[in-house]
Amino acid sequence: MRVADKNITGQSLRNIQKNRSDMSDLSNQAATQKKITRPSDDPLASSRVLAARTDERGYKQFIQNIAQAKSFLEFSEQALGELNDSLVRAKELAIAQSTDGGASEETRRITAQEVGQLFSQSVQIANRKLGDRFIFGGFQTMKQPFDTEGNYAGDDGDIKIQVHKDAYVGVNMPGSKVFLGKGIEGDGVIRTSSDTPKTVKELQEYRKEKKEIELDQQEEEKHSIQTRGLASEGTITRLSNKDPITEDKGLNVFKVLKGLEISLKTNDKVGVQESMDLIDQAISQVVLARAEMGSRVGSLNATTESLQKAVVDNKGLASQLEDADVFQLVSDINKTESALKATMETSSKMVERSLLDFLR
Amino acid sequence: MSKVGAMMDVGKRSLQNAQTGLQTVSHNIANKTTEGYSRQRVELSSMPPIGVGNIRIGMGAKAGAVTRANNPWLEKQIQKERTGLGFQNGRADSLARVEQIFNEQQNKGLNQYMTQFFNAFRELSNNPESLSSRTMVKEAAQQMADDFRRVNAQLVDVQDDIDGQISSLTEQVNQASKEIATLNEKILQVEAQGTHANDERDRRDLLVKNLGEKIEISWAEGKDGQVSITAGSTAILVSGSSATELIAQRNATRDRAEILYRSNEYGSTFQITEQFKGGQLGGLLEVRDKIIEDSLKSVDEMAYTLAREVNSAHIEGHDRYGKPGVLFFDMPDTAKGASGKLQVNKTVFNDVGRIAAGNKQDAPGDNTIANMISGIQYRATMEKGTATLDDFYNAGVGELGTITQRARSTQEAQKNIVDQMSTLRENISGVSLDEETTNMIEMQKMYDASAKVIKTADEMLETVLNLKR
Repeated sequence: MRVADKNITGQSLRNIQKNRSDMSDLSNQAATQKKITRPSDDPLASSRVLAARTDERGYKQFIQNIAQAKSFLEFSEQALGELNDSLVRAKELAIAQSTDGGASEETRRITAQEVGQLFSQSVQIANRKLGDRFIFGGFQTMKQPFDTEGNYAGDDGDIKIQVHKDAYVGVNMPGSKVFLGKGIEGDGVIRTSSDTPKTVKELQEYRKEKKEIELDQQEEEKHSIQTRGLASEGTITRLSNKDPITEDKGLNVFKVLKGLEISLKTNDKVGVQESMDLIDQAISQVVLARAEMGSRVGSLNATTESLQKAVVDNKGLASQLEDADVFQLVSDINKTESALKATMETSSKMVERSLLDFLR
Repeated sequence: MSKVGAMMDVGKRSLQNAQTGLQTVSHNIANKTTEGYSRQRVELSSMPPIGVGNIRIGMGAKAGAVTRANNPWLEKQIQKERTGLGFQNGRADSLARVEQIFNEQQNKGLNQYMTQFFNAFRELSNNPESLSSRTMVKEAAQQMADDFRRVNAQLVDVQDDIDGQISSLTEQVNQASKEIATLNEKILQVEAQGTHANDERDRRDLLVKNLGEKIEISWAEGKDGQVSITAGSTAILVSGSSATELIAQRNATRDRAEILYRSNEYGSTFQITEQFKGGQLGGLLEVRDKIIEDSLKSVDEMAYTLAREVNSAHIEGHDRYGKPGVLFFDMPDTAKGASGKLQVNKTVFNDVGRIAAGNKQDAPGDNTIANMISGIQYRATMEKGTATLDDFYNAGVGELGTITQRARSTQEAQKNIVDQMSTLRENISGVSLDEETTNMIEMQKMYDASAKVIKTADEMLETVLNLKR
């Protein structure tokens, strides 16, 4: 075959360039420790890396959200625990003062004072703050939800926090429910409103629902009947489990305590006895609320674990897809380097000799 | 009967032939590295012998013509493959730049800024009362909008750059066609005298190949040795000794450089941009008008959808002051160009209290709207409700990566084809020093020997002249 000088130089140049460009790719990989330095290096892998990173960042945020949610829930739960203690104390006092055996008008009047203290202690609990947020005010986190009389200034807002792609968890328990017993359903469990609106349409439905509930509550309040008259200042104290009008199961903790206090003050033995039942109901209302919060914390712990695992998995996936295999890389570099050396050597031999060198 | 004079003649011609040969050798050596050069050689043929009686005496050799070693079919094929190479070059090189815009392997990009934006709203929903989480939302939104505009601007930059390349390409094309027309004339003149216009043809072949790499051409050589060249399907660039220019000009309808052609000086111009599907020009046009336009459309679509979804949720809410929510982003009128205009609304920008996190009025702890907005990330808002923003973007990056990867491998393959053909061409037409040296020695020997012949003839003549003394 006829070989022209241009062939030799051209070929040498091409070979060297090929080796050099391989070398530059490899050293780039070594410097970045990544085998994908741009999408076209491996399009499929690079878009999966992007997705894995998005997921990872989202999950990390969820873990952060959960930490916040947990502190809110745990703090609320602790407050309700104290409320529970107050109620138990009130029950003890009520039992002691319910018969004429060991109690008299005198002891009842003294006990009434302690019950009054329990009342204001409960109001204080209801006004607890986490950071600068009131935890029992519903959405009204910036103003004190209860006045000294136990009148509610908050709302029934459930603060929801995203803990996973499609999961939202309520972190608070509005005072209207746990302290006032409004909107507690048949089984006595305090639930957050089931759905979190995600679109404008869902938001409008959510608003409609809220409005209806509000109207219902106004209606109920308007028609509420005093089920017991004696010495109760407009209380809704009652004896059956359900309110005869609203069929609500919840009751107003403050009014129960206030009722006991008044019964004690007025030396109303029957009233004190009835209060015992009501305090029992109040205790179970608070216990259920605590249990609900505890179960939310439990499920959040489980979610955190799965999120942490997902973060690790995503990191692993991304690393597997984009990180360079260092041993492979080093061996490739060595191979390419020796190829480059060999190419240079042969090229220099090919280029330097011609017939002219042998003609003297 | 043989004559001493004839012998002298043969020797003299041989001497001349050797000189011609040596000169051709030196011409070859001198053009060893000239691009497109075909080695030349002197075609020697024996002179018709003279018959004397029943013997025929050879009369030496004559130099027929200086020809070039060249395979025109191979040249034509190389020209075609180089059109392909030009296309792949134009495409792959500008694609690499487009790809870089979406490359998040090493630095932050849209994907990351979008996640950051939604995470900021999640942080806000953790603590809607706090001013610092509101400021975070503003910062994240600002950065995301900046990055949308960065992507848009960089894509347009590449388009502008391609426009510039098209202009200079057209300039080079016009230069080449002018030179080809001149060479056409020269070749006609030279070859009319019955000689070969070797160097002119080499140069013209090279120019045609270079031209074909830049734009798609069809060409043919006429009987008179002149080539006519048509660019695209209608623009006649070279016909005989006249060349017509292509014009690259921005036009008003879309403010992009277009290729115009005017058949004669007074004729009207025609826009023929669409005719170019091959060559470097074709590759550049494809990236500019198709790939980048598609990318812009996708990014616009994303920016528009994002602004629309965020705004529609935001205006439903109430801000820190109990006022109804305003638009969060300045709403672009149409999807087209939305990515270049995405901007956080001034009202929100100047006062983060105006960010509406809640649904209810005067409920500082309400985070319903913040939840709705952060939820947009996982909602299928793109592609008629089949893909989330992230899905859409990641798929887009993957697709661009695939196109770029394929472009690069095709470019590599096409380069190999052209290299192989060029090797073939050099095998035939390239200069080999070894060969030239051998020829040189041969010719030199011939020169020496011919001189010897003349000397011998001279001595013979002298011998004859001395007979009489």
